[in-house]
Amino acid sequence: MTDYFSVIPAKAAPGLPGRGTVASEARGQSGGAPRAALDPSPGGQPLRAVPGIRGGDEVIYEEQALPATRVRGYWQSVFYRLRYDPVTLVFAAIVLLIVLAAVFAPLLAPFDPYKESIAGRLKPFGWRDHPLGTDELGRDMLSRLLFGGRVSLLMGIVPVLIASLVGGMLGVVGGFVGGRTNTAIMRTMDVFYAFPSVLLAVAIAGAMGGGMANGMLALTLVFIPPICRVAETATTQVRALDFIEAARASGARTMTIIRYHVLGNVLGPVFIYASSLVSVSILLAAGLSFLGLGVRPPVPDWGLMLSTLRQSIYVVPFVCALPGLAIFITSICCNLVSDGMRAAMDVRM
Amino acid sequence: MASRIDLIMRRPPIRDAARGCVSGQGGRLEGRTVLAGGLVAVLLLASAPAQAGGTLTVGMTAGDLPVTTGNPDQGFEGYRFVGYNLYDSLALWDLSKSDKATDIKPGLATEWQIDEANPKRWIFKLRHGVKWHDGCDFTADDVVWNLGYSMNEKAPQFNPAQFAQARPYLGTYAGVEKLDDHTVAFTTKAPDSLFPYEISYVLMVSPCRAKEVNNNWTEYALHPSGTGPYRFDKMVPHQRLELIPNTEYWDKARVPKQDRLVLIPMPEASTRTAALLSGQVNWIEAPSPDAIDRLKAAGMKIVTNVYPHNWSYQLNFVKGPFADKRVRQAANYALNREDMKDLLNGLMLEEYATVPPSTPYYGHPMLYKYDPAKAKALLKEAGCTPCKVTFAISTSGSGQMQPLPMNELVKSQLDAAGFEVTLDAMDWNALLKLTREGVDEHPTTNAINVSRQTQDPFNALIRHVWTGAWAPKGSNWGHFSNPDFDKLIDGILSEFDAEKRLGLLTKLHEMMNEEAVLIFVAHDVNPRAMTPEVHGFVQAQSWFQDLTPVSVGP
Repeated sequence: MTDYFSVIPAKAAPGLPGRGTVASEARGQSGGAPRAALDPSPGGQPLRAVPGIRGGDEVIYEEQALPATRVRGYWQSVFYRLRYDPVTLVFAAIVLLIVLAAVFAPLLAPFDPYKESIAGRLKPFGWRDHPLGTDELGRDMLSRLLFGGRVSLLMGIVPVLIASLVGGMLGVVGGFVGGRTNTAIMRTMDVFYAFPSVLLAVAIAGAMGGGMANGMLALTLVFIPPICRVAETATTQVRALDFIEAARASGARTMTIIRYHVLGNVLGPVFIYASSLVSVSILLAAGLSFLGLGVRPPVPDWGLMLSTLRQSIYVVPFVCALPGLAIFITSICCNLVSDGMRAAMDVRM
Repeated sequence: MASRIDLIMRRPPIRDAARGCVSGQGGRLEGRTVLAGGLVAVLLLASAPAQAGGTLTVGMTAGDLPVTTGNPDQGFEGYRFVGYNLYDSLALWDLSKSDKATDIKPGLATEWQIDEANPKRWIFKLRHGVKWHDGCDFTADDVVWNLGYSMNEKAPQFNPAQFAQARPYLGTYAGVEKLDDHTVAFTTKAPDSLFPYEISYVLMVSPCRAKEVNNNWTEYALHPSGTGPYRFDKMVPHQRLELIPNTEYWDKARVPKQDRLVLIPMPEASTRTAALLSGQVNWIEAPSPDAIDRLKAAGMKIVTNVYPHNWSYQLNFVKGPFADKRVRQAANYALNREDMKDLLNGLMLEEYATVPPSTPYYGHPMLYKYDPAKAKALLKEAGCTPCKVTFAISTSGSGQMQPLPMNELVKSQLDAAGFEVTLDAMDWNALLKLTREGVDEHPTTNAINVSRQTQDPFNALIRHVWTGAWAPKGSNWGHFSNPDFDKLIDGILSEFDAEKRLGLLTKLHEMMNEEAVLIFVAHDVNPRAMTPEVHGFVQAQSWFQDLTPVSVGP
């Protein structure tokens, strides 16, 4: 294991000011590593813990000062680990390609995605200038897939982003303040938990009507409770640790403690959890569009395209499968990248 | 072959096999042998040729089985497969011909006429010798009981669910009385010459059976009793409903020729197509137009016929561009309906008027043929450039055909002529709610795309343009109002001479085109696909169909 800190047995180093697994052990392995532990020592020299002599069940550690230049920062370690994870890199590259294709869709698309031609409807791959064929109204599939990616990625990322902000904030407040505030916030979240996420999204989008904005709002509301719970769990566990007590004893204000000591430890788990939700969001958004609760036709959207093209599956089966393939590839790539990031960031969910 | 099967059926191997398996009694070898014998018997039974009439298994478009307590839900498909099969109404639809528009004919009533002394009183003579499936006789008391069942909330047998189903058809109903055992009189709130059409949608259920189940309608739904050509046999809720012929049916010509009718809800078109291709069903409703070629290649029969259906847009006459007649006409001129026909693989009739041309009151309406230049000119004249409009549409729904691609094509064609259409797509039930609530609740919606049945004169014409039918009370969603129209409609409802009434209806239909009260797009041709083994079906020009002449066999 190249990672220096991860070899430190946690239980033997309570409160050790090194980025170890102290907190994760204390939290029952459900959160990430406390960022406070990364802070340099007051003397300016980072401290290093090294395994010492094993005595009975106890592992005895001794501390030794090391030159600052030898320490790899947290994000450096993350990137270092990512560099040696080819699977994540390949899938990240695919995600990047998809994002670029969507962003530059107007430049890349060979045709206007709205230009229909009834005479040229439902044509197979390679028909005339349409490499991926045409849809039920004779519109170019490649162009619509490129433009559809914009909607799908937007619907995948924006709700998760907003939910992370709102849910994360609620979770941190609930976790840090505790008591009745925690009960009020978390029990409210539990109400949302009572409904399956798909059903909840469909119900909210159905009640508010279709359209992309309502779809995004529905997805945001669906994602807030789980993100809130992750943030709350992480915060509750960090709150009880010694360095928070120490910060408090040294006169730090609550906001300072939250900003410097709590958020640093909560952001990791929330980020990783949220990144795994991107693929879920893409799938749910496609599902909403499939049911007619997402974007407004004729806006190209993978879910909506799949919904209308399924009627033509006996005519051009491969063309009809393309939007589904796009959804599948994007969501699985996002998921694998999220997995890779979790490993690299050493976050245990 | 039959005798061989009889022989096997008379022997007890199946029962023995069952005992051997379940109880474990008997030697192991013997058990196996017996089991094998049982399996062979089952296989032989399965491969036996179908009996004379065969089993007709239908894949319906409905999302669930229609209710069996009288007037069904699930739209007219519920009436088609469950309502008019288990039950009868006083006036039935003549579904025996495919080459002419359908009209009502005597059903449980043999004749009806308006009371000459009172234009608000209809006299119905009831059919003698009709029996309910439970064996009781059908009498005038039953008719009175049935109107209480669906319309009188003070009656002990009142069923609110039935009230919801029957009310839309009985807007003018005021009361019913028994004159003798086989005569009843209906009174209406105002003269209503179209009342017999309205009563044709009210199905009669058995008071005897209701008494047996103590007016428990959940129980009744599992043991329904009507007078219709089919009897209830069994049901797996939400999955399948099985009906068997009523051999005692009063109309001997309509005793079902098949042995069993199985109804399976299959809302997804691709699922229905796959079910037909795989042999799970031998009849499907509304296959996707793009699946037709595949079905034909597999040897399936495709049946189509024009029927009283329109796929159009009802417009907002209160607020927005469509309050101006020129804009409405422009929208009609802007549509290239031939392209729409190509989109649907030929499975539609171009719609230029409210009802299809085969309707008796079609007349000679002004037709809006495709003319984009004229459309642009009219929009310019009306000062609506670009003409921004919002259409409420659904993603699916009964009679909605292929709503998304069709609406996208309409938008594309209207946009090309100078409109700027926003499609507000919603769930089918949300659109129905918007439709019921009317334009007052939804002033920013300029048009709604809800397919309509145009089966009878009231539903075809009057409800779209009559001030008395303004939503939420009626179906005039956009609150069209014109004194000339109202006067003509009053004349129609008070005209009891069928010939003269036909003339007035024709005039109304022509006026509706002149005013461009709808954006006319398509008449569906009601495609259905069936295996070559299905014989004898005649597709009437109706939402309802007669399944009784159908048999299934080689």
